[in-house]
Amino acid sequence: MAKLPTPQELVANRPAFPAEAWLETKPKFVPGSYCYPAKKETMEALHMPHPHEWDPAADDWQLPENWEKILCDAFEDRLKKHRSLKLFMDICVRCGACADKCQFFLGTNDPKNMPVLRAELLRSLYRRDYSMLGKILGKKIGARSWDYQTVKELFFYAYQCTECRRCSLFCPYGIDTAEITAIVRELLHEVGLGLHWIMDPVKNCSYTGNHLGIKPHSYVEIVEMLADDCEDIVGVRPKTPFNERGHEILFICPSGDVFADPGIYTFMGYLILFNELDLDYTLSTYASEGGNFGSFVSFNMAKKLNAKMYEEAQRLGCKWILGGECGHMWRVINQYMDTYNGPTPSNMTTPVSPYTGTVFKNAASTKMVHIAEFEADLIRHNKLKLDPSRNDDLICTWHDSCNPARGMGLLDEPRYVLKHVVNHFYEMPENTIREQTFCCGAGSGLNTEEIMELRMRSGMPRGNALRYVQQKYGVNRMACCCAIDRATLPPLADYWAPGVTISGLTELVANALVCKGEHKRTVNLRQEDLPHLDEEEPEGNEGE
Amino acid sequence: MQSTEFFFGVRDMVLEEWVNAIFNTYPFQTTGFLRTSKDPFANPVADMTREAASTVYEAVSGWDKKPSEVRQAIDRFIHLRAVQDFLPSQAMLVFYLLKPILRKHVMPAMQKAGKLKDYLDAESRLDTIVLLGFDMYTKSREVVAQNRINEIKNQHAQLVRWAQRVGGAPQLDEGQS
Repeated sequence: MAKLPTPQELVANRPAFPAEAWLETKPKFVPGSYCYPAKKETMEALHMPHPHEWDPAADDWQLPENWEKILCDAFEDRLKKHRSLKLFMDICVRCGACADKCQFFLGTNDPKNMPVLRAELLRSLYRRDYSMLGKILGKKIGARSWDYQTVKELFFYAYQCTECRRCSLFCPYGIDTAEITAIVRELLHEVGLGLHWIMDPVKNCSYTGNHLGIKPHSYVEIVEMLADDCEDIVGVRPKTPFNERGHEILFICPSGDVFADPGIYTFMGYLILFNELDLDYTLSTYASEGGNFGSFVSFNMAKKLNAKMYEEAQRLGCKWILGGECGHMWRVINQYMDTYNGPTPSNMTTPVSPYTGTVFKNAASTKMVHIAEFEADLIRHNKLKLDPSRNDDLICTWHDSCNPARGMGLLDEPRYVLKHVVNHFYEMPENTIREQTFCCGAGSGLNTEEIMELRMRSGMPRGNALRYVQQKYGVNRMACCCAIDRATLPPLADYWAPGVTISGLTELVANALVCKGEHKRTVNLRQEDLPHLDEEEPEGNEGE
Repeated sequence: MQSTEFFFGVRDMVLEEWVNAIFNTYPFQTTGFLRTSKDPFANPVADMTREAASTVYEAVSGWDKKPSEVRQAIDRFIHLRAVQDFLPSQAMLVFYLLKPILRKHVMPAMQKAGKLKDYLDAESRLDTIVLLGFDMYTKSREVVAQNRINEIKNQHAQLVRWAQRVGGAPQLDEGQS
């Protein structure tokens, strides 16, 4: 008689003691566990090394014949170029402080998603060629040779890291695993391995300036359409200055705010705010993207895509750049831009707020100010008339996007702004916010739908904290200042805390902003009814 | 002695064994970590597991629990198992891992006291909970699938709107100025 397995037998997906050591246990490439590879023509258009068709699920990835030499040489080159990398390879004592800090580990429970082990994948290769003990003792001290499976393993785990740097916060030596991931991705590109979701936007950015590859005239028309929406809602049509010379400020934001829901409401917020301030600014169809997917590819690609910001500021004669609510854009600006594209063009000067006179000394070198800093300064000096009760239907919490939070220390400004534009604000638990914030689980080019399931587990720690404040305080809105967050958090919230919606900061600012000449506002930027509509208006500012 | 008392005398021991059996469904190197920290945010998987296990155990024991209470307690846990790297059977069978533990620690005593029927009723309650959980598991998978669709739509939402506007798409633009 056939014997059915017991539940215990069904779950026995691992023996009590694995037969193989961790270095020998290899990942399985099943749909949902990997992102789609970049197209050959995309890689060709970008002059990337060894463009080719390949399938991550196939045995043969069609690597070039001398792939091992290419990778070894490239690794040596990076070690010479980045002293930090050499230090990170040598210095780790495997104390394990980082092990349980990664949201990928917490969600997947895959030991190789512990940052220490993820880095060890590369470190084991380093040990063979660059440490005396490794050369002599080999496997006994965790050194290993390059082989085909190793390349696959590096690919698998380099794209299960969002470069959020939460682990580096806890490392007593300050090892930045995000940089190790970045280097691994660079190495893989040397043999033609890249992701479609990253390389396609990179190509689009290279050709048209923005991720979706929208041509200038279409870009302008979409912005005009959003300005029409603003007029319907506020009663005043905001200006939409494009490519105009001689303005003080160039405004650059992620293109996700122009094209994708719910980012568009943040963009409408920018337009309304700037119009109310009568800001001396221009948008650009060339620098139409603050985001930089090149930073998920290689340092050189990041540098190339980032160059348009200063180029455009120079061409249009702007004194400084105001930057929108983007995540990795600010990491690039704050950590790398000086080295990449500096020094700034001679027409640029240290940013000074035209309304408050505040000198943004923190931006003296990059000449770029974050919109949250700009808004916080305006509110601090009482330059905005705000009616936070318009946001009374919202019980808000704040998600610190990892790049602005850990990459540039933007922690208090957005909170300051938020507390002035909403009446109900609650923090998530202490070990999930500020420097210790959990990533959305899909940053660094992993915000693609084919790995939705993986995203739901890597975003679980954030979803879990959100759910906690939803149940405890009735939170129904999570605000953040990152376009990738605004794209990735809605599905995460749908899954872990259904009922919570996501928005940018400036959307809430514009909801609360009382504009000159506005008609009686009845809806918010999402065209939903405002709260307190039935009650009497405290002041009538009807009409012109 | 009431039936529930048989369960509650050994509650902590059974729960510990059960929770450990669930942790053992994860890779070996991870199991140790799951046992250590009890912080709900630093170690969410363990917290979700313990929350679910504790309520399920009470419900199985015969305490007065509404389906909604059980659902709420296992909600996070099911959501987690539904997106982790498990087959549907592997995701859900963790509930059944309780049965052999109950048969070891509870059944003999109840059988001796002539309460075997009550014991079998308790096992049946576990079966019901698994079915409740299965509904939630399926729903979770549907949400993931729906989210993929929504995401594809949202990425180009403004482009589509713009194309409809300039391309003479057939819809009526009622209410547009």
